Amino acid sequence: MAEQLRTEEMILNMGPHHPSTHGVCRLILTLDGEVIKNCVPVVGYLHRAIEKMVENRTYAQCIPLMDRFEYVTSMSCDWAFCLAAEKLTEITVPERAEYLRVIMAELNRIASHLVFMGVTAMDLGALTPFLYGFREREMIMDLFEMTCGQRLTYNYIRIGGVSKDIPPEFIGQCRHFLDIFPGKIKDYEKLLLKNPIWIARNRGIGIITEQMAYDYAISGPNARASGVNFDLRKDDPYSIYNRFEFDIPVLNGCDCYDRYIVRLEEMRQAARIIRQALDQLPGGEIRAKVPLKFKPEIGELYSRIENSRGEMGVYLVSDGSTKPFRLRARGGSYNHLQAIPDIVRGLKIADMVAIFASLDIIMPEIDR
Amino acid sequence: MELAPVFTWLYGLLLSLGLGTSVADLISLVALAVIVFGFLAVVALFLVWWERKVSAHIQQRFGPMMTGWHGVFQTIIDALKLLQKEDITPALADRKVFFWAPVICFVCAFAAYVVMPFGKGLIVSDLNIGILYIVAITTFTIISLLMAGWGSNNKYALLGGMRSAAQAVSYEVPLVLSLLGVVMVTGSMSMNDIVAGQAGWGGFHWNALFQPLGFLIYIIAATAEANRTPFDLPEAEQELVAGFNIEYSGMKFAMFFLAEFVNMFTVSAIAATVFLGGWNGPLLPSWVWFLGKTLAMVFVLMWFRWTYPRLRVDQLMEFAWKVLVPLAFLNILYVGVMAKWLKW
Amino acid sequence: MVEVVRQFASGIYNLLLGLFTSGKHLTRHAITIQYPKERWTMPERSRGMVVLLTDHETGQLNCTACLLCMRACPAGAIEIEVEKDEKGKRHLKGFQVDYHLCCFCGLCEEACNFAAIKMATKYEFPEYDKKNLVWDINKLAEMGLDVPYEKPVRKTPEAKKPAAAASAATTTPAPEPPADAEPGGDATPPKGEG
Repeated sequence: MAEQLRTEEMILNMGPHHPSTHGVCRLILTLDGEVIKNCVPVVGYLHRAIEKMVENRTYAQCIPLMDRFEYVTSMSCDWAFCLAAEKLTEITVPERAEYLRVIMAELNRIASHLVFMGVTAMDLGALTPFLYGFREREMIMDLFEMTCGQRLTYNYIRIGGVSKDIPPEFIGQCRHFLDIFPGKIKDYEKLLLKNPIWIARNRGIGIITEQMAYDYAISGPNARASGVNFDLRKDDPYSIYNRFEFDIPVLNGCDCYDRYIVRLEEMRQAARIIRQALDQLPGGEIRAKVPLKFKPEIGELYSRIENSRGEMGVYLVSDGSTKPFRLRARGGSYNHLQAIPDIVRGLKIADMVAIFASLDIIMPEIDR
Repeated sequence: MELAPVFTWLYGLLLSLGLGTSVADLISLVALAVIVFGFLAVVALFLVWWERKVSAHIQQRFGPMMTGWHGVFQTIIDALKLLQKEDITPALADRKVFFWAPVICFVCAFAAYVVMPFGKGLIVSDLNIGILYIVAITTFTIISLLMAGWGSNNKYALLGGMRSAAQAVSYEVPLVLSLLGVVMVTGSMSMNDIVAGQAGWGGFHWNALFQPLGFLIYIIAATAEANRTPFDLPEAEQELVAGFNIEYSGMKFAMFFLAEFVNMFTVSAIAATVFLGGWNGPLLPSWVWFLGKTLAMVFVLMWFRWTYPRLRVDQLMEFAWKVLVPLAFLNILYVGVMAKWLKW
Repeated sequence: MVEVVRQFASGIYNLLLGLFTSGKHLTRHAITIQYPKERWTMPERSRGMVVLLTDHETGQLNCTACLLCMRACPAGAIEIEVEKDEKGKRHLKGFQVDYHLCCFCGLCEEACNFAAIKMATKYEFPEYDKKNLVWDINKLAEMGLDVPYEKPVRKTPEAKKPAAAASAATTTPAPEPPADAEPGGDATPPKGEG
């Protein structure tokens, strides 16, 4: 009589130190051979107590902290915070400052998606698109560095406007970048998009149904690849986005492949917005008159912007003093990480890597 | 500039010392082993450097530049660095298995060169089962990967070892079948005969021109046998953090590393010999042709690595069994029909 | 059957396309520079090390010990010691920047009205000993000697009164130096400093 072979489930720690968990995320996987039975994400390895530190700093001093909330799209984080503070005080931001904010935020969106593209390809073994993406990202970083002095944590968008005006060579260099960029996106597509290996690794993997997207409050390109036609720039417009013509790519595939295509297309649309903004850029002040000891009205509000990862929201409670009473920052990656156990059940470890990369999860947003 | 007369002269020198043929044979075999080993070690070092430079220039950067002209001594410095690293054996590892795994990998990588024709008359031993011997020896590397995976007492390493065994076994079949097409036409398994069969047309009567499908299947299967992207799951950094050699450090790791590059050279050399005409060619000496063709194939393998993403395990197996094996059979049918009809 | 062959052909075509896309970069020159033999010229607004600026004519530090930078720093990296002479005028006694805490945000540079503190474009200051990363006033002044800057035009006291009344019309919010402010006002993050 044959004995029943005891095959146990193996618990594997895709630990905080791992080349392909973006940042320090620990995933406790329960495996049956190669198939994932369960996945428990453990977060908190990057907790820096930003929301607590903000309570002890003035509004101007909070902005470097909000930079580090999600350092890949630092401009958007600054902007979300400044929007909240400005709405509480009803400050009107000058026109030029609005245009500059849009230009910087869209450039940052392109930079973030270039990181996504490179890292996703790298996680799946194609090591070259990473370098190509970073080559373009260097040009964007040069633009940022000539404007505000830093390459990653900008401290540029301030309450009432922006901190410095763009130098004269910015516009020429930006236009040059926009001229060569569509050709580069074509290069990335040629390298990977129709590659049968890429399709085999990404098509049909990591399905997020439309209902799941609603249930988990998944936003941004992840939701748009599942058929949810929601983009805050069009559906809840903030700043001057209603003056620009751009499309929102929405696909129905719900899988990793479509998430990749959505982000590539978003890069094109962001380039389109920047071109229009450069054409329409007016002169004028770059910052509204804001007192040194900035005291907003007593009140609380929630303001949100469209980050490259989804909806970035800031819930600000002000008690009338120079320091925020309570700041709650919401990043899209938290919800995406929550959805991961549901998505990966029944798939293999290699798919886990592909899904984690395609959701574009950045740990600092989750751990704050 | 042919090298075969040099070796014949050296052998004559040995005989003239009055040692007798058996002793002279023994000394010459040992010397040949040392020479081939030395040559391959240098080739492995060169290939590591070349891979880093090729990958760097594909990615529009420079690669090693500091040690010597454009970093040529980088591999030697790296090897010296690895020599001085602490040799760690995990506490619960199976010591004997852990120790012998890199040794077997290293030895089997070099043992395939007994029948490799480096040039006209430059073959250590022209066995009449040449190509079969090579296929058999390169299969031993699978055992060493399994030993490394098991002996490390590490879940990642175990997964890597299992994956690599599955992959290697699956891709042996199309590899052998594609080589079979050439053997059918040549009528012999000896490497010298295979090369001699491609001597026509001024040295350009290549088997690849007549069996393009076989050549394509061979390249794909060879990439999988050498554990290169898109089939490099056993060492997938991003997923299993270096797979089966995760617990190896120092010289043991260096052995795995160098053995991988020697393996790459082996499969490229076989491709050059069996499909691309071997050492045949006008004007230049035969060993230059051999080296040139082999290095061109190595470059193609490197090019694949830095362009393509990698396949998942089950996709890899599916590809081997459902696509490559039927195509390989198709190739054999085609060769058989051609051999009968066109009298190849 | 036709579909299979078509898919096969398309697959091979795209694989070759990928090869050529990456292969054409072999013909292009590398875009990286060989640091430390070659260095990138930093843009002038680049935020590097914090330095104290000296007046070229008098040789004195421009700092008036107004403590605005200390209060602006979000990390509490700046510590200033002030001494008052017999007329009640403030003098700078000690100035310390702790690079363990500095986050290179540039708020100190923006808060200063006297072109006393600046973020130079120099960025190379590694140290073997952690203690050397806390720079005192001499080191800061020494590092700032070769940093170019523009001295801001100071309004004369007579012109200040109408300017203060019409301050709403100025383009940049120019904060007036506080009349008397204690060090460690409510803007400094609690760092154990009084």
